[in-house]
Amino acid sequence: MSIATIEKMPTALSGDARAGKYLTFVLGREEFAIRVIKVREIMKIQDITAVPQTPGYVKGVINLRGKVIPVVDLRLKFGLAELEYTPRTCIIVVQMQGEGVTVQTGLVVDEVSEVLSLAANEIENTPDFGEGAGAAYLLGMAKVKGKVKILLDIDQVLNSQELGGVDALIRK
Amino acid sequence: MFEAGNLLRQRVDDLATRLVMGETDVTLWSTLLGNVREQAEAGGEAEVARLAAQAIDKLPSAAAGVASFEVLFSADILALQKAAAGESAPVTAPAPGPVKAPPVALGEDPEMIADFILESREHLHQVEIQMMTLEKDPGDMEAINTVFRGFHTIKGLAGFLDFADIREVAHETETLLDLARNQEVRITSRIVDLVLAAADFLKVWLTRLEAQLAGGDPGPAPETALLLERLKQGATPGESAVAAPATPAVTTAPVVNTAPAASASSVKVDTSKLDALVDMAGEMVIAQAMVRHHPELAALQSPALLRSLAQLARITGEVQKTAMSMRMVPVAGLFQKMNRLVRDLGRKTGKQAEMEAFGAETELDRNVVEELADPLMHMVRNAMDHGLEPPEERRAAGKDPQGRVRLKASHQAGHIVIEIADDGRGLVREKILAKARRTGLVEDGEHLSDHDVFNYIFHPGFSTAAQVTDVSGRGVGMDVVKRQIQKLRGRIDIESQPGQGTSFFLRLPLTLAMIDGLVVGVGQERYVLPIFSVHEVLQPKAEMIFTVEGRQEMAMVRESLLPVVRLYRRLGVAPCSEEAAECLLVVAEAGDQRFCLMVDKLIGKQEVVIKSLGEQLRDTPGVAGGAILGDGRVSLILDLDRIYRLGTA
Repeated sequence: MSIATIEKMPTALSGDARAGKYLTFVLGREEFAIRVIKVREIMKIQDITAVPQTPGYVKGVINLRGKVIPVVDLRLKFGLAELEYTPRTCIIVVQMQGEGVTVQTGLVVDEVSEVLSLAANEIENTPDFGEGAGAAYLLGMAKVKGKVKILLDIDQVLNSQELGGVDALIRK
Repeated sequence: MFEAGNLLRQRVDDLATRLVMGETDVTLWSTLLGNVREQAEAGGEAEVARLAAQAIDKLPSAAAGVASFEVLFSADILALQKAAAGESAPVTAPAPGPVKAPPVALGEDPEMIADFILESREHLHQVEIQMMTLEKDPGDMEAINTVFRGFHTIKGLAGFLDFADIREVAHETETLLDLARNQEVRITSRIVDLVLAAADFLKVWLTRLEAQLAGGDPGPAPETALLLERLKQGATPGESAVAAPATPAVTTAPVVNTAPAASASSVKVDTSKLDALVDMAGEMVIAQAMVRHHPELAALQSPALLRSLAQLARITGEVQKTAMSMRMVPVAGLFQKMNRLVRDLGRKTGKQAEMEAFGAETELDRNVVEELADPLMHMVRNAMDHGLEPPEERRAAGKDPQGRVRLKASHQAGHIVIEIADDGRGLVREKILAKARRTGLVEDGEHLSDHDVFNYIFHPGFSTAAQVTDVSGRGVGMDVVKRQIQKLRGRIDIESQPGQGTSFFLRLPLTLAMIDGLVVGVGQERYVLPIFSVHEVLQPKAEMIFTVEGRQEMAMVRESLLPVVRLYRRLGVAPCSEEAAECLLVVAEAGDQRFCLMVDKLIGKQEVVIKSLGEQLRDTPGVAGGAILGDGRVSLILDLDRIYRLGTA
């Protein structure tokens, strides 16, 4: 099954739709995963030019081979404590389909781990934390070798303003 | 009496043109039809008056959208035209046929249609240029042949693609031109009008086809039957001989230097590819600089290596320049449009005018040229309507009855200056001042320079025009023009001598893609200020700064008190120093406000390519975009007007 067809299938309840290749990365003590097809490239942390009058999680802009793209600190986006950048800090450049144009955004994460192939039977639905159904940006949870990875719908993450709930997951 | 009849006929013809062009402004129709009726009544043309009144009665239903203007009016206006031309009105007006806007069957091959649109547009562009020439010199066989060939080709292609309306109009125009070619019909202004109306009609169709190709709504079809009827009338030799007006109202000079540009071979390229090329060229220059200044290479101290690196620098610079220049187009096309406008307006207002164009080969960024069309059109319209006097008045003032509108493009210090000048009555200082007093802009007894006074015409809602005509003085004013020019990061200046004429000078950047920037440092950050809004940079002394009401700081610069904006406060960064004496003041002007920006240091002057910050950050207040500096890092280009207003809001 090609990746393109996976993308077109409903992401709702079927475990099959969520199966596929994921890039995993670390924020704090948790591991997250986003679809590899969304990832354009990964780069070491570099100087970011701050932009005034923007939400705190927007760290600023960088030069990606002649194009200026915004950079979002995923820690701050999820309401986690700010952490000083280290040599392991990475920027994952993801691309999304905007209105007629491809929009690229950089995501600052603590550390990039690996690319994983997730089978349908490894993926479970997000548990209910008493706030109704799991937030829209959470695709589900995957258990690999006894460790839990949180699957993110990165489009939803970047399109929504307030992102509570992740800390609840992490505190658990 | 003859004069009056001629004017009436012109007005009716104008109605017909508007109908063909799809004018739908009900108020305008009502005014125009009212004029015709009054004039017809005064001139004893009872039949014309009756028909005009009949058309006015139908206006409400057109306004309510019951039926389109074409359906309602085409029969009436045709009858009006005939009545005005002295013929008896037909007992039954020819049925215009139901004008619907059926989507044209586009056939199998959209690419062929796209080619047809492109080719036809080029022909129509030539037709406009040549018709201008023909109006001046009706005997120019080459011009007639070019126009004839244009319509002939369009007819052939339209026939092949089965676009009946286009084919018929092209065919009738061709017939008319054939008669002219065989000297059976003289080319008069009326014939020129007809051919141009046909060209406009075809343009509307091409736009509709294009919209349909793109999957959009083509909009209403223009009225065909009326135009065909007019073309057929025009092709009747007797008719046109009578219609030859006593004096050609307008002569227009062909735009200088268009021919060589047209003959150069060219390639059409998608603009996104061009943008990518410009991006990459910019990156190459940066990468090249990084290699060239790399300390390890410098340590080698090899002359051969240095020579090669210098060569590389030169070539990359050249590549970037060439990439940038690919977006540039000559202003000739724009001037051509104005030429046509001057001609049409001359016919409409009964003024005699000649348009002169200089420097049409001057090149400007495509985007600037496109954005410039509207303000330029507005200013030319003003020059024709308010600037130039009617022929009698000019004669009385001892001037050539034929007025001049001059368009001139030239390079000046990295900018392009476009001058729009007329030799009309000029701006009347007293009139503007009186109006400014009435609207409370000026206090009595205030002394103002001519420059200040003239600038009042850029205030919203400021018009000294005694009467609103359908040409100008309606809706958009000079304030809109000024705003559009400022949006293009340009400036507008006025010079005027009473009785001698008025000149407007538009000073514009060559491109919107690049900007001359002043790079300043605030704390750890660097920002780019557009140099066109910077007046000077100075090192303040502590006693130059005053504090008003304990908060707002002011600086005394050359005997004027200017507000001080501490840039680090607006942008929320930590400065190197808060002590005014250790900082620099950048005297800037944005909007109409002059103020001082306090920055830590001056880094340099640099030409930078403006990059969008992307969808999410596009509307960040105070930031106009991003620039990639020599070290590959991004720096923000500031929007000084917004920066200033961030504090006052």
